[in-house]
Amino acid sequence: MNMRINWAILLGLAFVIAENAIVPWLIPPGWSDRLLPHLTFILTIFVAGYAGRHPAFLFGLGFGLLQDMLAYGHLIGPYGFGMGLIGYLAGLLSEYKSYTISLFSWAVLVFGLLLDSIVYSIYNLFRLTDLQFAHVFYWQVAPTALLQLLIALLLYVPVRRYLVKASLSPGEDNPE
Amino acid sequence: MSAIFRLMRNKRLFILMIGLILFIALMGFTFGRNRLTWPEKFVNDAFGTVQGVFYRPVGAVADFFRDLGRLSDVYKENEQLRQTVAQYTQDQIRFNLLEAENKRLQEELNFTERQKNMDNYRYLIAQVVGSTSNPYERTITINLGSKDGIKPEMAVRTVDGLVGLVSKVKNFTSTVTLISNLDPSSSKGSPVSATFLSKPDSFGIIEYDEETKTLLMSKIEEKDKPVDGDTVITSGLGSLFPKGIIIGTVKSSQVGDFGLTYTATIEPAAKFDHLREVFVIVVPEVDEP
Repeated sequence: MNMRINWAILLGLAFVIAENAIVPWLIPPGWSDRLLPHLTFILTIFVAGYAGRHPAFLFGLGFGLLQDMLAYGHLIGPYGFGMGLIGYLAGLLSEYKSYTISLFSWAVLVFGLLLDSIVYSIYNLFRLTDLQFAHVFYWQVAPTALLQLLIALLLYVPVRRYLVKASLSPGEDNPE
Repeated sequence: MSAIFRLMRNKRLFILMIGLILFIALMGFTFGRNRLTWPEKFVNDAFGTVQGVFYRPVGAVADFFRDLGRLSDVYKENEQLRQTVAQYTQDQIRFNLLEAENKRLQEELNFTERQKNMDNYRYLIAQVVGSTSNPYERTITINLGSKDGIKPEMAVRTVDGLVGLVSKVKNFTSTVTLISNLDPSSSKGSPVSATFLSKPDSFGIIEYDEETKTLLMSKIEEKDKPVDGDTVITSGLGSLFPKGIIIGTVKSSQVGDFGLTYTATIEPAAKFDHLREVFVIVVPEVDEP
Protein backbone atom coordinates (compact mmCIF):
# COMPACT_ATOMS: atom_id res chain seq x y z
CA MET A 1 0.00 0.00 0.00
CA ASN A 2 2.56 2.52 1.08
CA MET A 3 5.59 0.73 -0.19
CA ARG A 4 7.52 1.23 -3.42
CA ILE A 5 6.80 -2.27 -4.59
CA ASN A 6 8.65 -1.93 -7.90
CA TRP A 7 11.81 -0.99 -6.10
CA ALA A 8 11.24 -3.84 -3.67
CA ILE A 9 11.07 -6.29 -6.58
CA LEU A 10 14.24 -4.84 -8.07
CA LEU A 11 15.96 -5.13 -4.71
CA GLY A 12 14.68 -8.69 -4.47
CA LEU A 13 16.33 -9.60 -7.77
CA ALA A 14 19.57 -8.04 -6.57
CA PHE A 15 19.24 -10.07 -3.36
CA VAL A 16 18.78 -13.29 -5.30
CA ILE A 17 22.04 -12.64 -7.13
CA ALA A 18 23.82 -11.61 -3.94
CA GLU A 19 22.51 -14.68 -2.13
CA ASN A 20 24.04 -17.02 -4.71
CA ALA A 21 27.15 -15.11 -5.70
CA ILE A 22 28.36 -12.96 -2.81
CA VAL A 23 27.03 -14.39 0.46
CA PRO A 24 28.84 -17.77 0.04
CA TRP A 25 32.15 -15.93 0.09
CA LEU A 26 31.34 -14.05 3.28
CA ILE A 27 30.55 -17.20 5.27
CA PRO A 28 33.64 -18.67 6.96
CA PRO A 29 34.73 -22.02 5.44
CA GLY A 30 33.60 -24.34 8.24
CA TRP A 31 30.16 -22.80 8.41
CA SER A 32 29.14 -22.97 4.78
CA ASP A 33 26.45 -25.60 5.35
CA ARG A 34 25.22 -24.06 8.56
CA LEU A 35 24.68 -20.40 7.71
CA LEU A 36 22.47 -20.11 4.65
CA PRO A 37 20.62 -16.81 4.97
CA HIS A 38 17.66 -16.26 2.66
CA LEU A 39 17.79 -12.58 1.82
CA THR A 40 14.57 -12.57 -0.18
CA PHE A 41 12.78 -14.09 2.80
CA ILE A 42 13.78 -11.06 4.88
CA LEU A 43 12.49 -8.79 2.15
CA THR A 44 9.22 -10.74 2.11
CA ILE A 45 8.74 -9.96 5.81
CA PHE A 46 9.32 -6.28 5.04
CA VAL A 47 6.78 -6.38 2.23
CA ALA A 48 4.32 -8.14 4.54
CA GLY A 49 4.68 -5.37 7.08
CA TYR A 50 4.42 -2.39 4.77
CA ALA A 51 2.33 -3.57 1.83
CA GLY A 52 -0.10 -6.11 3.26
CA ARG A 53 -0.68 -9.80 2.96
CA HIS A 54 -1.55 -10.19 -0.72
CA PRO A 55 1.54 -8.46 -2.14
CA ALA A 56 3.64 -10.35 0.40
CA PHE A 57 2.10 -13.64 -0.63
CA LEU A 58 2.85 -13.03 -4.31
CA PHE A 59 6.30 -11.67 -3.50
CA GLY A 60 7.23 -14.70 -1.40
CA LEU A 61 5.76 -17.12 -3.90
CA GLY A 62 7.59 -15.56 -6.84
CA PHE A 63 11.00 -15.25 -5.25
CA GLY A 64 10.69 -18.64 -3.57
CA LEU A 65 9.99 -20.31 -6.88
CA LEU A 66 12.82 -18.37 -8.52
CA GLN A 67 15.23 -19.56 -5.85
CA ASP A 68 13.94 -23.11 -6.24
CA MET A 69 14.47 -22.98 -9.96
CA LEU A 70 18.04 -21.72 -9.60
CA ALA A 71 18.92 -24.42 -7.07
CA TYR A 72 17.00 -27.17 -8.87
CA GLY A 73 18.52 -30.53 -8.16
CA HIS A 74 15.81 -32.78 -6.79
CA LEU A 75 12.55 -30.86 -6.90
CA ILE A 76 11.06 -27.41 -7.41
CA GLY A 77 8.68 -25.91 -4.92
CA PRO A 78 9.71 -26.14 -1.23
CA TYR A 79 10.78 -22.52 -0.96
CA GLY A 80 7.97 -21.34 -3.23
CA PHE A 81 5.46 -22.95 -0.91
CA GLY A 82 7.17 -21.94 2.31
CA MET A 83 7.79 -18.33 1.39
CA GLY A 84 4.32 -17.85 -0.11
CA LEU A 85 2.71 -19.18 3.06
CA ILE A 86 4.96 -17.15 5.32
CA GLY A 87 4.38 -13.98 3.31
CA TYR A 88 0.65 -14.42 3.84
CA LEU A 89 0.98 -15.26 7.54
CA ALA A 90 3.31 -12.32 8.19
CA GLY A 91 0.89 -10.06 6.30
CA LEU A 92 -1.99 -11.24 8.50
CA LEU A 93 0.10 -10.60 11.60
CA SER A 94 0.95 -7.09 10.49
CA GLU A 95 -2.73 -6.32 9.96
CA TYR A 96 -3.63 -7.34 13.51
CA LYS A 97 -0.73 -5.71 15.32
CA SER A 98 1.23 -2.58 14.57
CA TYR A 99 4.54 -3.33 12.97
CA THR A 100 7.11 -2.08 15.44
CA ILE A 101 10.75 -3.04 15.32
CA SER A 102 10.39 -5.57 18.13
CA LEU A 103 7.47 -7.31 16.43
CA PHE A 104 9.43 -7.22 13.19
CA SER A 105 12.47 -8.87 14.81
CA TRP A 106 10.30 -11.58 16.31
CA ALA A 107 8.64 -12.13 12.95
CA VAL A 108 11.99 -12.55 11.17
CA LEU A 109 13.22 -14.97 13.83
CA VAL A 110 10.10 -17.10 14.21
CA PHE A 111 9.15 -17.17 10.53
CA GLY A 112 12.79 -17.91 9.67
CA LEU A 113 12.66 -20.97 11.90
CA LEU A 114 9.29 -21.89 10.42
CA LEU A 115 10.50 -21.55 6.81
CA ASP A 116 13.47 -23.84 7.22
CA SER A 117 11.34 -26.30 9.19
CA ILE A 118 8.78 -26.39 6.38
CA VAL A 119 11.54 -26.97 3.84
CA TYR A 120 13.03 -29.71 5.99
CA SER A 121 9.68 -31.46 6.35
CA ILE A 122 9.10 -31.35 2.59
CA TYR A 123 12.49 -32.90 1.88
CA ASN A 124 11.85 -35.43 4.62
CA LEU A 125 8.45 -36.22 3.11
CA PHE A 126 10.10 -37.03 -0.22
CA ARG A 127 12.79 -39.07 1.58
CA LEU A 128 15.56 -36.84 0.29
CA THR A 129 17.06 -36.37 3.72
CA ASP A 130 17.15 -38.85 6.57
CA LEU A 131 18.46 -36.49 9.22
CA GLN A 132 16.67 -36.03 12.52
CA PHE A 133 14.83 -32.75 12.90
CA ALA A 134 16.63 -31.99 16.19
CA HIS A 135 19.97 -32.30 14.43
CA VAL A 136 18.93 -30.11 11.50
CA PHE A 137 17.48 -27.55 13.88
CA TYR A 138 20.70 -27.28 15.85
CA TRP A 139 22.96 -27.59 12.83
CA GLN A 140 21.37 -25.28 10.29
CA VAL A 141 17.94 -23.86 11.14
CA ALA A 142 18.76 -22.00 14.36
CA PRO A 143 22.10 -20.43 13.26
CA THR A 144 20.55 -19.38 9.95
CA ALA A 145 17.57 -17.75 11.66
CA LEU A 146 19.85 -15.80 14.00
CA LEU A 147 21.98 -14.59 11.10
CA GLN A 148 18.82 -13.59 9.24
CA LEU A 149 17.72 -11.58 12.26
CA LEU A 150 21.04 -9.74 12.24
CA ILE A 151 20.83 -8.99 8.52
CA ALA A 152 17.21 -7.88 8.87
CA LEU A 153 18.11 -5.41 11.61
CA LEU A 154 20.92 -4.02 9.46
CA LEU A 155 18.45 -3.59 6.60
CA TYR A 156 15.69 -2.08 8.73
CA VAL A 157 16.70 1.57 8.51
CA PRO A 158 17.63 1.63 4.79
CA VAL A 159 14.44 -0.19 3.83
CA ARG A 160 12.26 2.20 5.82
CA ARG A 161 14.03 5.19 4.37
CA TYR A 162 14.06 4.21 0.71
CA LEU A 163 11.32 1.65 0.16
CA VAL A 164 8.54 2.94 2.39
CA LYS A 165 6.81 6.07 1.19
CA ALA A 166 7.72 8.62 3.79
CA SER A 167 4.68 10.88 3.52
CA LEU A 168 2.19 8.17 4.40
CA SER A 169 4.02 5.80 6.65
CA PRO A 170 4.17 7.70 9.98
CA GLY A 171 0.48 8.54 9.99
CA GLU A 172 -0.82 5.21 8.81
CA ASP A 173 1.55 2.94 10.62
CA ASN A 174 0.41 3.81 14.12
CA PRO A 175 -3.33 4.34 14.09
CA GLU A 176 -3.75 3.14 17.66
CA MET B 1 -25.26 -15.84 9.22
CA SER B 2 -22.91 -17.87 11.35
CA ALA B 3 -22.71 -20.46 8.57
CA ILE B 4 -21.52 -17.79 6.16
CA PHE B 5 -18.94 -16.67 8.69
CA ARG B 6 -17.70 -20.19 9.10
CA LEU B 7 -17.45 -20.49 5.34
CA MET B 8 -15.51 -17.23 5.18
CA ARG B 9 -13.14 -18.37 7.85
CA ASN B 10 -12.69 -21.71 6.18
CA LYS B 11 -12.01 -20.10 2.83
CA ARG B 12 -8.43 -19.43 3.81
CA LEU B 13 -8.01 -22.98 4.98
CA PHE B 14 -9.60 -24.15 1.75
CA ILE B 15 -7.19 -22.11 -0.36
CA LEU B 16 -4.28 -23.32 1.76
CA MET B 17 -5.30 -26.92 1.12
CA ILE B 18 -5.61 -26.28 -2.62
CA GLY B 19 -2.20 -24.59 -2.58
CA LEU B 20 -0.67 -27.49 -0.69
CA ILE B 21 -2.07 -29.99 -3.17
CA LEU B 22 -0.86 -27.91 -6.12
CA PHE B 23 2.61 -27.67 -4.65
CA ILE B 24 2.83 -31.36 -3.82
CA ALA B 25 1.82 -31.99 -7.44
CA LEU B 26 4.50 -29.58 -8.67
CA MET B 27 7.15 -31.20 -6.48
CA GLY B 28 6.13 -34.65 -7.57
CA PHE B 29 6.18 -33.57 -11.19
CA THR B 30 9.65 -32.00 -10.96
CA PHE B 31 11.04 -34.81 -8.78
CA GLY B 32 13.78 -36.74 -10.51
CA ARG B 33 13.25 -35.09 -13.87
CA ASN B 34 16.24 -34.68 -16.12
CA ARG B 35 15.08 -32.45 -18.94
CA LEU B 36 14.45 -28.77 -18.47
CA THR B 37 11.89 -26.63 -20.24
CA TRP B 38 13.06 -23.49 -22.02
CA PRO B 39 11.78 -20.98 -19.42
CA GLU B 40 13.83 -22.77 -16.76
CA LYS B 41 16.87 -22.76 -19.00
CA PHE B 42 16.40 -19.10 -19.80
CA VAL B 43 15.99 -18.00 -16.17
CA ASN B 44 18.96 -20.11 -15.10
CA ASP B 45 21.19 -18.85 -17.90
CA ALA B 46 20.24 -15.23 -17.25
CA PHE B 47 20.88 -15.41 -13.52
CA GLY B 48 23.96 -17.56 -14.00
CA THR B 49 25.55 -15.01 -16.29
CA VAL B 50 24.84 -12.10 -13.97
CA GLN B 51 26.00 -14.09 -10.93
CA GLY B 52 29.29 -14.81 -12.66
CA VAL B 53 29.99 -11.10 -12.88
CA PHE B 54 29.86 -10.89 -9.09
CA TYR B 55 30.96 -14.33 -7.93
CA ARG B 56 34.42 -14.31 -9.48
CA PRO B 57 35.64 -10.83 -8.38
CA VAL B 58 34.26 -11.31 -4.88
CA GLY B 59 35.95 -14.70 -4.77
CA ALA B 60 39.25 -13.21 -5.85
CA VAL B 61 39.10 -10.59 -3.11
CA ALA B 62 38.04 -13.12 -0.47
CA ASP B 63 40.82 -15.49 -1.51
CA PHE B 64 43.35 -12.69 -1.34
CA PHE B 65 42.51 -11.97 2.27
CA ARG B 66 42.49 -15.65 3.13
CA ASP B 67 45.92 -16.05 1.53
CA LEU B 68 47.25 -13.16 3.59
CA GLY B 69 46.24 -15.06 6.68
CA ARG B 70 48.03 -18.18 5.48
CA LEU B 71 51.28 -16.42 4.58
CA SER B 72 53.18 -18.05 7.43
CA ASP B 73 52.43 -21.55 6.15
CA VAL B 74 53.91 -20.88 2.73
CA TYR B 75 57.47 -21.81 3.66
CA LYS B 76 56.47 -25.20 5.01
CA GLU B 77 54.19 -25.84 2.06
CA ASN B 78 56.98 -24.94 -0.36
CA GLU B 79 59.33 -27.47 1.24
CA GLN B 80 56.69 -30.15 0.99
CA LEU B 81 56.02 -29.33 -2.65
CA ARG B 82 59.72 -29.52 -3.48
CA GLN B 83 59.86 -33.03 -2.10
CA THR B 84 56.81 -34.04 -4.07
CA VAL B 85 58.26 -32.63 -7.28
CA ALA B 86 61.45 -34.62 -6.78
CA GLN B 87 59.38 -37.73 -6.40
CA TYR B 88 57.34 -36.86 -9.47
CA THR B 89 60.41 -36.58 -11.70
CA GLN B 90 61.40 -40.08 -10.58
CA ASP B 91 57.91 -41.35 -11.30
CA GLN B 92 57.81 -39.59 -14.67
CA ILE B 93 60.71 -41.69 -15.96
CA ARG B 94 59.01 -44.88 -14.85
CA PHE B 95 55.70 -43.69 -16.24
CA ASN B 96 57.17 -42.93 -19.68
CA LEU B 97 58.73 -46.38 -19.87
CA LEU B 98 55.50 -48.05 -18.83
CA GLU B 99 53.44 -45.99 -21.25
CA ALA B 100 55.72 -46.87 -24.16
CA GLU B 101 55.52 -50.53 -23.26
CA ASN B 102 51.76 -50.35 -22.84
CA LYS B 103 51.40 -48.78 -26.28
CA ARG B 104 53.61 -51.45 -27.85
CA LEU B 105 51.55 -54.21 -26.24
CA GLN B 106 48.31 -52.58 -27.39
CA GLU B 107 49.67 -52.52 -30.95
CA GLU B 108 50.61 -56.17 -30.74
CA LEU B 109 47.21 -57.16 -29.42
CA ASN B 110 45.45 -55.22 -32.20
CA PHE B 111 43.53 -52.82 -29.99
CA THR B 112 41.03 -50.78 -31.94
CA GLU B 113 41.36 -47.00 -32.06
CA ARG B 114 38.41 -46.64 -29.71
CA GLN B 115 39.87 -48.95 -27.12
CA LYS B 116 43.17 -47.10 -27.24
CA ASN B 117 41.53 -43.76 -26.68
CA MET B 118 39.27 -44.94 -23.90
CA ASP B 119 41.35 -43.36 -21.14
CA ASN B 120 42.15 -40.12 -22.97
CA TYR B 121 39.87 -37.85 -21.03
CA ARG B 122 39.30 -34.30 -22.09
CA TYR B 123 39.23 -31.69 -19.33
CA LEU B 124 37.02 -28.64 -19.79
CA ILE B 125 37.86 -25.86 -17.40
CA ALA B 126 34.80 -24.15 -15.98
CA GLN B 127 34.37 -21.15 -13.75
CA VAL B 128 31.99 -21.46 -10.84
CA VAL B 129 29.39 -18.70 -10.98
CA GLY B 130 27.28 -19.39 -7.94
CA SER B 131 26.26 -21.70 -5.15
CA THR B 132 22.88 -22.03 -3.54
CA SER B 133 21.43 -21.32 -0.13
CA ASN B 134 19.26 -24.43 -0.07
CA PRO B 135 20.61 -26.83 2.56
CA TYR B 136 19.21 -29.92 0.86
CA GLU B 137 20.31 -29.13 -2.68
CA ARG B 138 24.02 -28.61 -2.39
CA THR B 139 24.69 -27.49 -5.93
CA ILE B 140 27.02 -25.10 -7.68
CA THR B 141 26.52 -23.45 -11.05
CA ILE B 142 29.27 -23.47 -13.66
CA ASN B 143 29.54 -21.37 -16.79
CA LEU B 144 29.57 -24.20 -19.33
CA GLY B 145 26.42 -25.60 -20.84
CA SER B 146 25.09 -27.79 -23.58
CA LYS B 147 26.60 -25.42 -26.16
CA ASP B 148 30.04 -26.45 -24.84
CA GLY B 149 29.26 -30.13 -24.97
CA ILE B 150 28.33 -30.70 -21.35
CA LYS B 151 26.03 -33.63 -20.67
CA PRO B 152 24.35 -34.83 -17.46
CA GLU B 153 26.26 -37.24 -15.21
CA MET B 154 29.68 -35.98 -16.23
CA ALA B 155 32.23 -35.98 -13.42
CA VAL B 156 33.48 -32.68 -12.06
CA ARG B 157 36.76 -32.29 -10.19
CA THR B 158 39.04 -29.64 -8.80
CA VAL B 159 42.81 -29.90 -8.67
CA ASP B 160 42.39 -31.73 -5.36
CA GLY B 161 39.82 -34.33 -6.29
CA LEU B 162 36.28 -35.24 -7.21
CA VAL B 163 33.64 -32.68 -6.24
CA GLY B 164 30.47 -33.77 -7.96
CA LEU B 165 28.42 -34.70 -10.98
CA VAL B 166 26.73 -32.50 -13.55
CA SER B 167 23.01 -32.78 -12.87
CA LYS B 168 21.10 -30.23 -14.93
CA VAL B 169 22.43 -28.79 -18.18
CA LYS B 170 21.25 -25.45 -19.55
CA ASN B 171 22.41 -23.73 -22.72
CA PHE B 172 25.23 -21.68 -21.23
CA THR B 173 25.36 -22.83 -17.62
CA SER B 174 24.92 -26.10 -15.82
CA THR B 175 24.25 -27.25 -12.29
CA VAL B 176 26.68 -29.53 -10.50
CA THR B 177 25.42 -31.65 -7.64
CA LEU B 178 28.17 -31.89 -5.07
CA ILE B 179 29.33 -35.31 -3.97
CA SER B 180 28.07 -34.42 -0.51
CA ASN B 181 24.56 -34.60 -1.89
CA LEU B 182 24.85 -37.97 -3.59
CA ASP B 183 22.34 -40.35 -2.16
CA PRO B 184 22.67 -44.00 -3.13
CA SER B 185 19.44 -44.93 -1.37
CA SER B 186 17.36 -42.74 -3.65
CA SER B 187 16.54 -44.33 -6.96
CA LYS B 188 17.90 -41.40 -8.91
CA GLY B 189 21.55 -40.87 -9.75
CA SER B 190 24.20 -43.43 -10.58
CA PRO B 191 26.40 -44.59 -7.71
CA VAL B 192 30.08 -43.72 -7.81
CA SER B 193 32.25 -46.82 -7.59
CA ALA B 194 35.65 -46.48 -5.98
CA THR B 195 38.81 -48.44 -5.40
CA PHE B 196 41.93 -48.18 -3.25
CA LEU B 197 45.09 -46.89 -4.88
CA SER B 198 47.18 -49.68 -3.35
CA LYS B 199 44.68 -52.41 -4.29
CA PRO B 200 43.45 -51.74 -7.83
CA ASP B 201 41.06 -54.70 -7.78
CA SER B 202 39.12 -53.59 -4.75
CA PHE B 203 35.64 -52.20 -5.06
CA GLY B 204 33.32 -50.03 -3.03
CA ILE B 205 30.43 -47.61 -3.41
CA ILE B 206 30.74 -44.00 -2.33
CA GLU B 207 27.98 -42.42 -0.29
CA TYR B 208 27.73 -39.41 1.95
CA ASP B 209 26.96 -39.50 5.64
CA GLU B 210 24.99 -36.36 6.43
CA GLU B 211 25.23 -36.88 10.17
CA THR B 212 29.04 -36.91 10.41
CA LYS B 213 29.71 -34.89 7.23
CA THR B 214 32.12 -37.45 5.82
CA LEU B 215 32.10 -39.77 2.84
CA LEU B 216 31.55 -43.47 3.31
CA MET B 217 32.83 -46.22 1.07
CA SER B 218 30.66 -49.27 1.57
CA LYS B 219 30.41 -52.83 0.24
CA ILE B 220 34.17 -53.42 0.32
CA GLU B 221 35.01 -57.10 0.01
CA GLU B 222 36.43 -58.92 2.98
CA LYS B 223 39.80 -59.60 1.37
CA ASP B 224 40.38 -55.90 0.70
CA LYS B 225 40.59 -54.68 4.25
CA PRO B 226 40.90 -50.87 4.14
CA VAL B 227 44.16 -49.44 5.44
CA ASP B 228 44.04 -46.08 7.19
CA GLY B 229 45.62 -43.35 5.11
CA ASP B 230 45.18 -45.18 1.82
CA THR B 231 44.04 -43.04 -1.11
CA VAL B 232 40.65 -43.75 -2.63
CA ILE B 233 40.13 -43.15 -6.35
CA THR B 234 37.23 -43.69 -8.73
CA SER B 235 37.39 -47.10 -10.32
CA GLY B 236 35.69 -46.34 -13.62
CA LEU B 237 33.51 -49.41 -13.40
CA GLY B 238 30.26 -48.49 -14.99
CA SER B 239 31.92 -47.13 -18.13
CA LEU B 240 30.40 -43.64 -18.16
CA PHE B 241 32.44 -42.52 -15.21
CA PRO B 242 36.14 -41.71 -15.64
CA LYS B 243 38.63 -43.64 -13.54
CA GLY B 244 41.55 -42.48 -11.46
CA ILE B 245 40.07 -39.35 -9.91
CA ILE B 246 41.10 -38.90 -6.30
CA ILE B 247 38.18 -38.97 -3.89
CA GLY B 248 39.94 -38.86 -0.54
CA THR B 249 41.89 -40.80 2.04
CA VAL B 250 40.70 -43.49 4.42
CA LYS B 251 40.23 -42.14 7.92
CA SER B 252 38.93 -45.24 9.64
CA SER B 253 37.18 -48.46 8.78
CA GLN B 254 34.68 -50.76 10.38
CA VAL B 255 32.87 -53.97 9.59
CA GLY B 256 29.78 -53.37 7.50
CA ASP B 257 26.13 -54.11 8.07
CA PHE B 258 26.08 -57.90 7.80
CA GLY B 259 29.65 -58.59 8.89
CA LEU B 260 30.63 -59.67 5.41
CA THR B 261 31.87 -56.37 4.06
CA TYR B 262 33.87 -53.41 5.25
CA THR B 263 32.83 -49.79 5.37
CA ALA B 264 35.50 -47.10 5.29
CA THR B 265 35.14 -43.51 6.41
CA ILE B 266 36.79 -41.23 3.90
CA GLU B 267 38.12 -37.74 4.34
CA PRO B 268 37.29 -35.97 1.05
CA ALA B 269 40.31 -34.59 -0.80
CA ALA B 270 38.45 -31.65 -2.31
CA LYS B 271 36.83 -28.81 -0.44
CA PHE B 272 33.20 -28.28 -1.34
CA ASP B 273 32.84 -24.63 -0.42
CA HIS B 274 34.44 -21.52 -1.86
CA LEU B 275 35.08 -23.18 -5.21
CA ARG B 276 36.28 -20.99 -8.05
CA GLU B 277 37.44 -23.23 -10.86
CA VAL B 278 36.50 -26.81 -11.61
CA PHE B 279 37.21 -29.25 -14.42
CA VAL B 280 34.49 -31.14 -16.22
CA ILE B 281 35.81 -34.50 -17.41
CA VAL B 282 34.66 -35.55 -20.86
CA VAL B 283 34.94 -39.28 -21.43
CA PRO B 284 35.48 -40.21 -25.10
CA GLU B 285 32.28 -41.23 -26.81
CA VAL B 286 31.45 -44.89 -26.48
CA ASP B 287 29.24 -45.90 -29.37
CA GLU B 288 27.78 -49.13 -28.18
CA PRO B 289 26.09 -51.27 -30.82
